[in-house]
Amino acid sequence: MDRLLYGVLGTAFGFVLYRSGASDYDTVQGMFLLRDFQLWGLIGTAVALTAPGLWLLRRLGRTAGGAPLRVTPKPRNRGNWIGGAIFGAGWSITGMCPGPIFVNLGAGKLHALAALAGALIGAALLARYYSRLASGLGLPVAKA
Amino acid sequence: MGEAAGFWPWWQGGAAVAAITLLLLWLGNQRLGLSTGFENLCALLLRTPHLMRAEVTGSARWRLPFLGGLVLGGALAALASGGWQPSLAVPMLDARFALSPAAKLAWMFAGGLLIGFGTRLSNGCTSGHGIFGLSNFERGSAEATLAFLAAGMVTTWLVQGAGAS
Repeated sequence: MDRLLYGVLGTAFGFVLYRSGASDYDTVQGMFLLRDFQLWGLIGTAVALTAPGLWLLRRLGRTAGGAPLRVTPKPRNRGNWIGGAIFGAGWSITGMCPGPIFVNLGAGKLHALAALAGALIGAALLARYYSRLASGLGLPVAKA
Repeated sequence: MGEAAGFWPWWQGGAAVAAITLLLLWLGNQRLGLSTGFENLCALLLRTPHLMRAEVTGSARWRLPFLGGLVLGGALAALASGGWQPSLAVPMLDARFALSPAAKLAWMFAGGLLIGFGTRLSNGCTSGHGIFGLSNFERGSAEATLAFLAAGMVTTWLVQGAGAS
């Protein structure tokens, strides 16, 4: 049952990303070239509205079903900005961040399949070499 | 430019993203974040120890249906905006390089490698760091967001011919 909820929320998210230009190569380049305000405005509005909503939900401390709310901050380390910089180059090259890869796949953009194949292999490579990178970059050691 | 291209106004897209992010937390008790989904998918085939950590195994239950929803949402949105049809067209990239189909797929694959490796090293992407992390005032997310936006700007500037228009 809750899988249906996540499927519906994902569908809505995919629809919104596509219809607001977040999965469009040209709009992404326009953002990076500072020629198109669209995605700067979208991200800025999303953060400006999520932040107070999140604050409120954390104050309430409960989900809709009454369970204790769980918001775990991500660990901070050098991987954040080093990995972020690598990702940013990939975002520019493909015109897609992770969500839009899946959105464009559904929209029939065949090149999204190539980007997804690359992303899966890239993630597998990181997983394969994670322990070697972890000590040098101060990354958290994986727990099973 | 955005609205001229037929897209929703930016504030409407941003408000919808915020609403979905908050609903995912309020209804499902899940922190929005999509790039761990690459690991959820990898873990279907690989048993590398790093892919067996709780963050991955414990989140496949919600994230895989969510990713499936993204694909469906993309299909519905394409249907609702002029019709669904398979395509390899990427206007601005085509205008810049006129790549053959094979070369374009290689280009996208190479970019995908950077996305998969980089987001997992960064432990988040535009959604987990840029939307949720920033909204939760997490310093690591702010660093990641600044890094991927800056790197994206530099890369696009280089790809587009160092400022040539």
